[in-house]
Amino acid sequence: MSENSGLSPGAHGIVAQLAKFAGALRAAGVRVGLTDEFDAAAALTLVDLLDRAEVHRALRIAFKLPRDAWEIFDRLFEEYWDGRRAPQHPALQREPRGPAQWRWDGERVHLAAPDEAPESAGERYSPEAVLRRKPFDQFSESELAAMEKLLARLALKLATLRSRRLVPAVSRGIVDLRRSFRRALASDGDFLKLARRSRPLDETRFVVLYDTSGSMDAYTRVLLAFAFALRRVMKRVEIFAFNTRLVRVTRMIAPAGIPQSLIRLSAGVPDWSGGTRIGGCLAEFVALYKQTLIDRNTTIICVSDGLDHGDSVQLAGAMRELRARARRIIWLNPLPGDPRYRPEAAGMRAALPFVDHFRPAHNLESLQGLLRLVA
Amino acid sequence: MNEDIRSTQAAMERCGYIAEPAIATAVYLAKEMQKPLLVEGEAGVGKTEIAKVLARMLATELVRLQCYEGLDANTALYEWNYQRQLLRLKIAEREAREPEKLEQLIFGREYLLERPLLRAITRREGPAVLLIDEIDRADEGFEAFLLEVLSDFQITIPELGTIRAEHIPLVVLTSNRSREIGDALRRRCLYLYVEHPGFEKELRILHSKVPGVNEQLARTITRFVQRLRARDLRKRPGVAETLDWTQALVHLHSDALDAETVHATLGCLLKDEHDIRATAKESVAELLVYATAPE
Repeated sequence: MSENSGLSPGAHGIVAQLAKFAGALRAAGVRVGLTDEFDAAAALTLVDLLDRAEVHRALRIAFKLPRDAWEIFDRLFEEYWDGRRAPQHPALQREPRGPAQWRWDGERVHLAAPDEAPESAGERYSPEAVLRRKPFDQFSESELAAMEKLLARLALKLATLRSRRLVPAVSRGIVDLRRSFRRALASDGDFLKLARRSRPLDETRFVVLYDTSGSMDAYTRVLLAFAFALRRVMKRVEIFAFNTRLVRVTRMIAPAGIPQSLIRLSAGVPDWSGGTRIGGCLAEFVALYKQTLIDRNTTIICVSDGLDHGDSVQLAGAMRELRARARRIIWLNPLPGDPRYRPEAAGMRAALPFVDHFRPAHNLESLQGLLRLVA
Repeated sequence: MNEDIRSTQAAMERCGYIAEPAIATAVYLAKEMQKPLLVEGEAGVGKTEIAKVLARMLATELVRLQCYEGLDANTALYEWNYQRQLLRLKIAEREAREPEKLEQLIFGREYLLERPLLRAITRREGPAVLLIDEIDRADEGFEAFLLEVLSDFQITIPELGTIRAEHIPLVVLTSNRSREIGDALRRRCLYLYVEHPGFEKELRILHSKVPGVNEQLARTITRFVQRLRARDLRKRPGVAETLDWTQALVHLHSDALDAETVHATLGCLLKDEHDIRATAKESVAELLVYATAPE
């Protein structure tokens, strides 16, 4: 079982190696803090460093990696702990590669890496959407910026609407003896009024599932801005991006603002503006996050045009599972803004039976309509 | 492998827990680094059992805090025995006692109800094993509170003062992942994710927990369950279910699996109506062919 673990001799070498490894994990989007590094270092002093499998186990335990981070961990471990240094790892190169940019080609907004032609990030197997010229995709850069401010206000309104619904119960609930005693002090030890406790209403949770495929390009910025705005005012919002893969982007959202977030997102989400595999991505979401993120207080907002050449049976299965667990599912589709639109894409048809509200999201007015639903 | 980890693994096995290297490593590290161990995994993979075995292994007391929605600090830490205090006050009204003395009396240790967390840190005989079970069921606020207790291992009771841990207990937290555990708490712990056991391990567990089962049946059962788990189920059967099923089959004196018996006892394995319906006749037949095929 023992084989060379690839460590340079001496504690210093190990610590340096560990720091590099942790850095690579972070760059790949796994959250590893300084305390985790300390723990990992402490753990390494306790295990057999020549046993690679044991180092692997110990690091996974000490870094506290959740199940969904194992894949990345295993991959990076391969590269870092067998002696092969891997500065060429793409995860490390992402940052300096330079930001992707939004480009305006006179007709619509594109997200493209600077060294890439805007058109190269075309649809891989999402069919070319016929219905592109929607209000959102006719926005200019400055209009987009103004729109983002509006969205932030809208989201704030959404958040406050919800909190007003919390009604504190005064005279119901179980007797709170501890507080009753304290109150009795005011009246020389007589219990004039019993203090009571009851459970407050639970907060609504939001999960936003975001289609970033090529056919959604024109809408991505505005709709993401909306999701981000939600995230800023509400504690319990999780945001996922999907195209051919599912990526949890909640934490990629920079507090600094939407442009920075978009840069990080385009670096962190593979295949941005690529094709779509809605069914596969939703199935993955169900498998990985159904347990932790979806409960009876969760509203799922799925933003997609449903243009999918993947497996619509799989999509229906995933939607059924989500429906069974979530409070409601809202599907926002940028296409219904066009009067000619009928929900006829195979993916859309498969998903519709499980959707509580199917709404257009092609302009601000339609997003405001959403407010009534979520409030 | 490190000798100490190997001996941890052996010790756990002596206490009736077949531990993979990952589990033994986690337990060993938690013990050595004096850090709580957060164990996650699907229901029925034996998370709680780790704490129980640990207590048996160290011949110490297992203090269990079962979490549930609405669990608060009072229930987890301590509570004054208000009823008893009130009675004492009533009695005291007839005696003419000095108020200070009386106060000292009713806020004494004997009027204090120890809840699990307090109990775990005040055990005098040696470190206890503190099991905080299903932490994901408690509210997020409780997590923050727990964080404080787990970092300082001291509890302040205004009327009594600060109580410091006699011995730092060995803490095991389990979670079914019905919600995500906060980062702060996760950071404070070591983390272990337990998966469903593989064939060899499950077979060994089966033999150690159900001694009466014959080798052939045990192998068939294990293969059947392993295959069943690979299917698309809402609730995949855990080891606990396998053991229940085996016990049921032993009670029914079945020496081999047949379709009829499987159907009659499927409820031991699958606890979801949808899953039971999905595992219809053909599927059972298919699973059986696989399970009983010569290896």
